[in-house]
Amino acid sequence: MKIEGKVVRVFPSDTNTDEIIAGKYKYDELDLNKLARHTFESLDTHFYDDCKRLKDPILVAGANFGCGSSREQAPQVLKACGISCVIADSFARIFYRNGFNIGLPLVECESMSNNVTRGEMLNVDFGKGVIRSENQNAEYHFKPIPQFMQELLAKGGLMQYLDARGGFTD
Amino acid sequence: MRQFARTYGMDFYENGDGICHQIVLERYASPYKIIVGGDSHTCTHGALGAFATGMGSTDVAAIMAYGKTWLKVPETVHVEVSGKLPKSVHSKDVFLELLSRITADGATYKALEFYGDTVETMSVESRATLSNMAIEAGAKVGMCAADEKVEAYLAHYGRGDEFTPLYADKDAIYVDEIRIRAETVVPMIAKPHKVDKVVPVTELEGQELDQVCIGSCTNGRIEDLRAAARILDGHRSKARLVVYPASRDVLLEALKEGVLETLLKAGASIGPPGCGFCIGRTVALGDGEVALSTQNRNFKGRMGNDTSFIYLSSPSTAAASAIEGKITDPRGLEH
Repeated sequence: MKIEGKVVRVFPSDTNTDEIIAGKYKYDELDLNKLARHTFESLDTHFYDDCKRLKDPILVAGANFGCGSSREQAPQVLKACGISCVIADSFARIFYRNGFNIGLPLVECESMSNNVTRGEMLNVDFGKGVIRSENQNAEYHFKPIPQFMQELLAKGGLMQYLDARGGFTD
Repeated sequence: MRQFARTYGMDFYENGDGICHQIVLERYASPYKIIVGGDSHTCTHGALGAFATGMGSTDVAAIMAYGKTWLKVPETVHVEVSGKLPKSVHSKDVFLELLSRITADGATYKALEFYGDTVETMSVESRATLSNMAIEAGAKVGMCAADEKVEAYLAHYGRGDEFTPLYADKDAIYVDEIRIRAETVVPMIAKPHKVDKVVPVTELEGQELDQVCIGSCTNGRIEDLRAAARILDGHRSKARLVVYPASRDVLLEALKEGVLETLLKAGASIGPPGCGFCIGRTVALGDGEVALSTQNRNFKGRMGNDTSFIYLSSPSTAAASAIEGKITDPRGLEH
């Protein structure tokens, strides 16, 4: 599985789920596309529009991305914004799990937030575990995503994956 | 949600019954159980010796549909708290002290286990605050041994038969060990807008407050309301004071003990048992306002306003601060 896209933003460490999508909205809005308009609202009111202007935008962040709440709306709104994948120095664990469960590709690659800048074009190879930057003519390596997790993404998420297999078969 | 519960024959709790985590603590959690909830503070139940962790809706749906889930066994961090906590210093302060050392991703995908004579002396309610906060360090679970106090807690709620003792093996392997001397813990405050931005209360004394909130799944239990009432007794709050008991049972207990009367006379607005203020669903802050809360998170905008500021503390610190209308050291006030 490969993705190519421009870095739409580089966010700092400890960017939390309240910042991604404020809890107050999830009670009032079930439509993810409408909810997505509020993504990162408290930090950056142009986020949604900037994402929509790009093809397969990539979000880059520092350590512990998605810390805080277990709300699934966090990866959901990023996906609804059109984010093709999130590359972070590290992820908070509930967010990491939620991302794959709803079909949002996540890549953990140390120090990436220091290595790339907004606007850069990146090429991500999930199977090989390589991020290529044409601008820098450089390659960054990460631990390849395990096959079954790539399948989760390919199917669109956990429920689709389980339904296709009839459950948690070994 | 009501329809969903009806369709699938699930127990359903109404508005006013309380915060889910408090209800589970009182009525469902017990040692050895693996508990998964669709909220990150599900880790609270580690205080009863359960492996309790929060997951997203899809994971919870998969468990409901298929009865299973994938779990990686986390490595364990041994947190040893020994000695006697000073007056007006509580388990919330102990956790904030721990968080100041390991930070918000210090325990990512690890199990925090709380040991030491200080924890052994703590009530289950106090321990529940430690377990509840575990996720703020990124932990998968925050567990305490299931000892005779857990047995008594379960018996109090008519569930004594659900008790089995649970202790770590003597030769258990830990990936890290953190030691905290209780005597050195002071009332702590988490500054806006991160939970691990922790400083001793003395560094923030005098910070003006618009609203003080006592409650939440972290510190909304009867012990917490009692601690607040002890300090507020005979005083009137200068800041807006809001108290939300964590459950109907807590509210009833507070009523019976006269705690509710004390809080009301101090100027508190008593909210229905629930999350309320913590997520800005009620009593939201105004522009630029400053709140001190006993909850577990102070992220930007959490209490309903992106330009407001949230400080976190123990119930004692919150009560003392309400009296002065500013962040106040509770030591020396409590009698």
